[in-house]
Amino acid sequence: MSFRTKLFLLFLVTVLASVSAVTYSVTHYTRAAYEEMDNQRTTALVSQFQKELAQQREIVARQVENVTNADVTLKMAIDQTKPDPDQSLYVRDAAGAAQEHGLDFMEFVIADGTLISSAEYPARVGYKETWVTSGKDWNGSEAFLRRVELPNEVAVSLTAVRTQPNVAKPFYTIGGRRLDEKFLGSLVAPAGLRALLYLNLDSSFVPSDVISSSEKVEQAEKFAPMIAQLQKQPAPLVQTIQWTNDADSAETFHALPLTGRNGELLGALLVGSSRADLVHLTRHVMKLAGAVAAAAMLIGLLLTWWVSARITKPIEELAEGAREVAAGHWHTRIDLRGQDETGQLAAAFNHMTQTLSAQRERLVQTERVAAWRELARRLAHELRNPLFPLQITVENMQRARQLGNEQFLEVFNESTATLKAELANLNSIVNRFSDFSKMPPPEFSRLEINDVIRSAVRLFEPQFHAVGKPTITTEYFLKDGLPEIDGDPELLHKAFQNLVLNALDAMPAGGTLTFRTAETQSGVRIEVSDTGKGLTPEECSRLFTPYYTTKQQGTGLGLAIVQSVISDHRGTISVASEEGHGTTFRIELPRRQPGVAPKKTQAALAEEDPAKASAETAAAND
Amino acid sequence: MRCIALGWPAAIKELGFAVALCCATASGLAGAARPQYGGVLRVDLRTASVNLNPAKWKAGSADFAANQRLAELLFDRLVALDNYGRFQPQLATEWNHDGSAKRWQFTLRQGVKFSDGTTLSPGDVVEALQPLLPRGMQVTASGGGITIQCATPTADLLEMLASGPYFISKDNGSGLLRGTGPFVLESVSATARDADKAGGDGTASPTQRLRFRFNENCWAGRPYLDAIEVTLGVPPLKALLDLQLGKTDLGELSVDTAKRAQQTNLKCWSSAPLTLFLLKFSADDKPGQEQRLREAISLSVDREAMARVLLQKQAEAAASFLPQWLSGYAFLFDAERNLERAKELRSKMPSSLAGAVQPLRVTVDANNELSKLIAERVAVDARAAGLTVQTVKGGARTSNDAGPKGDGEAQLIVWRYTSLSPRNVLDSIGNTARRQASEAGVPLDAGARYAWEKRMMEEKNLLPLVAVPDFAAADGRVRNWSPSPWGEWRLADVWLEASEASAPRDAAGKSSAGARP
Repeated sequence: MSFRTKLFLLFLVTVLASVSAVTYSVTHYTRAAYEEMDNQRTTALVSQFQKELAQQREIVARQVENVTNADVTLKMAIDQTKPDPDQSLYVRDAAGAAQEHGLDFMEFVIADGTLISSAEYPARVGYKETWVTSGKDWNGSEAFLRRVELPNEVAVSLTAVRTQPNVAKPFYTIGGRRLDEKFLGSLVAPAGLRALLYLNLDSSFVPSDVISSSEKVEQAEKFAPMIAQLQKQPAPLVQTIQWTNDADSAETFHALPLTGRNGELLGALLVGSSRADLVHLTRHVMKLAGAVAAAAMLIGLLLTWWVSARITKPIEELAEGAREVAAGHWHTRIDLRGQDETGQLAAAFNHMTQTLSAQRERLVQTERVAAWRELARRLAHELRNPLFPLQITVENMQRARQLGNEQFLEVFNESTATLKAELANLNSIVNRFSDFSKMPPPEFSRLEINDVIRSAVRLFEPQFHAVGKPTITTEYFLKDGLPEIDGDPELLHKAFQNLVLNALDAMPAGGTLTFRTAETQSGVRIEVSDTGKGLTPEECSRLFTPYYTTKQQGTGLGLAIVQSVISDHRGTISVASEEGHGTTFRIELPRRQPGVAPKKTQAALAEEDPAKASAETAAAND
Repeated sequence: MRCIALGWPAAIKELGFAVALCCATASGLAGAARPQYGGVLRVDLRTASVNLNPAKWKAGSADFAANQRLAELLFDRLVALDNYGRFQPQLATEWNHDGSAKRWQFTLRQGVKFSDGTTLSPGDVVEALQPLLPRGMQVTASGGGITIQCATPTADLLEMLASGPYFISKDNGSGLLRGTGPFVLESVSATARDADKAGGDGTASPTQRLRFRFNENCWAGRPYLDAIEVTLGVPPLKALLDLQLGKTDLGELSVDTAKRAQQTNLKCWSSAPLTLFLLKFSADDKPGQEQRLREAISLSVDREAMARVLLQKQAEAAASFLPQWLSGYAFLFDAERNLERAKELRSKMPSSLAGAVQPLRVTVDANNELSKLIAERVAVDARAAGLTVQTVKGGARTSNDAGPKGDGEAQLIVWRYTSLSPRNVLDSIGNTARRQASEAGVPLDAGARYAWEKRMMEEKNLLPLVAVPDFAAADGRVRNWSPSPWGEWRLADVWLEASEASAPRDAAGKSSAGARP
């Protein structure tokens, strides 16, 4: 990923994060404010309900008192004090009393608890109502919530009980008003709020027992967990119910437990507050934030693109300049102006390339001088060796002139033989230098590198095991099935011979010479290792320099020739050595490209057509 | 063999004497005034509709009472039973049967005319009776009378013919029925159908008003009243209020309104228990547990308390299908509550059985308040024994329904005693219980019939609960009103005491031989 892309993404993420943070903050504070307002409204409705309940308590108590004090009730109570009273006379009276006084429930119970009249459940007449006879001082008590059994349902009633004060035996009047849709209807709920009642608190939840003041409550089964929690712990609780998949259908319900005289749970008031407004508001904020984010992103995109382009362009130019320098174009310059850091960086770069170029030229000149010196030294050294015998021989011959003819002739013959030999030696030296200067171009053919290695090494087998000389052991780790390469077998043969000779020189006391071949991604790898004394890093760095040698007897051309051959085969050669542990030469050659004629090397081209070769070289340098 | 009052149960006789005595005392006090012709008797009935075609009545139907009360204004029977338990000639003046009581011969009254003026012939009687008689009875015309040939000995044929749907009517060809009774249907309230059609087979819609005028051709002479106006669909409470306000002369009441009416100066009347409330279980299968449940419910129900407290002493606990006044042996059945035994049975029931944990649903007629009350009491009583019974509102029930219409496992049905023949009644109830009657049917002999009924009780497909009488009240100016204990109102003999009562317009018909009971 480019720096520009990274920079661009960084800007983008920054913009997005900023917009998101602002959106979240706005949404959070809006939600908090809304919920605070919602809580206030709900609390108001709950307190209205409690107020209404308290008011209804008073009304019910008063109405039951009125029924108790009515003449008909008094007569009924007095009749019950007579011996063997006819209780069947009053079976229907409770219904009339309830209707007359606007009560939903009305029952008359005599002293022993027998129900003699019931408006809501006449079928129970004759049965006992023990709870009422166990209570004391009913006339001083206020109305309370009570579970009322009806023929096929259970209701919750706001019930008051009163007794007749003017008769000998207690006579109970039980009246009540049902907590139902009508009761809910008396609550005025603000818009967005609604009140529900759940009045069947059996162990199993009955959805149809969730009622509202108007329409049927849909999906009432969703209240089941809430009611179950209330049944476990009758304390106010708040839960949010989502009616559909749409978030704006959610409603927050505050459940207020309705308890009876003994603290038993009889029902629950469920005050629901629609979250639609909040959701719509949040959506509006989110939409707004989305639009702002989109605009910010668009602007940010353009701005980021421009800024990143501005920032990265000098860097890219610097990178390009560096690549040019790496490619050998030492005179590369970057055209950047400005006083900022990038301008300074460009100036430093230009200064660096300028310095490097100058230093390189100096280095090349130095190396060239050093090479010439080394060559001169070598030449001097090489030539001095035969010259000294020549000089001695010539001086001998001059001195032999003083001798007799016979002796002179003998000396002359010996001297001329020596001169010939030394001249031949000189010629040999000159030929070696001449050969190096005009290495033949490779004649490529398809070949297997393992065969080349084996044939090259085979010539040295006698030397490895020569009597009186230390033994050289050879080890082969040649991988079968290596890809074929395009190469000149003779040149490669010569190169490997040079490496073997080099190894032999490195192991005067004997050792092991190891050959390894392996397949690489691009071709083959050949390793030639000896167990000689090894090389210093400085020696390694100069090892392939022509005429450089660490040996007393050597031209310093062997490894240079190897490098030249490998280079002509578009390969590479490197050396790894550790002093005292031997040296390894590693050669990598490209595999043969099927159907592609091997590209001729510069040397081959020069051999064939020097003019064309120089033209291509010029083009390549350009 | 000539019979006048054949095979009439002693219990009915006793009841008849008692009621007759009361009526005689009442009419004796009122009899100080001279009967007067004229006036319109206003009657309020609870039923919302009536069907005046006896062939379409269903035995045991709750609507039977109203249908019969209006039909007796239009039609006559061959014989009638008076309040003393004696059979009185009506359209038949004489009757006799062979020694096996299989062949009955009736001599018809001469000169009887239908309301349209045509003369009653034996053929008319045959045509009217044959569709009404049960299978196995063949009626034929013979000279001046008819012969009824029964497949089995039918000693209670007169009881049959003196009650139920056995009215003599004639179809004049247009589907309209004409009778020989004291009144003819003059009109049905304007918004309904035309009078003639309603007088035939029609049913009248709620709040309809039917007007009957006197029949000049009646063989028993002109009735005292000029007309009777019957308003249908009047709730008992409204009927009571109408009576108290003088808006009506005679009204049909319910249990609770009857109790109230007794505290006024209205003339109150209650019949013998005529309506039986039963709990009917599905008769499809009766595994042992189901049978145990039924027994437990039966034992848990406090019938006495139901009749005494809930129905304000206006009803009788029913321990058998036939009431004491009809069978004479009902006291032999035990209806006492045994809660401990019911609880014991409950404890042996598997929880999977409906009624144990899951409620046994009892379907009740949503429009019948008394049914609902009784069913709810059954549920309350059952709960005391640990049983779970739930009432479910359903459609109107008649005894002839094949089974519960709703999805309840039981239903509370209302059975109307529509025949004076105990055998006939028991046979109909047996059909309702889906009981496979024996070849010989319900025995005639009271002892054998008792055993037969006892077996049917033990099957527990039907649990009798309470029997409730009919209630009515009349205004003080209604005179000579002596309804029968079995629910006939006998309005033909009623006259109205009123200062402006019209003089008799035609008393010629009174010279005809015979009289209504």
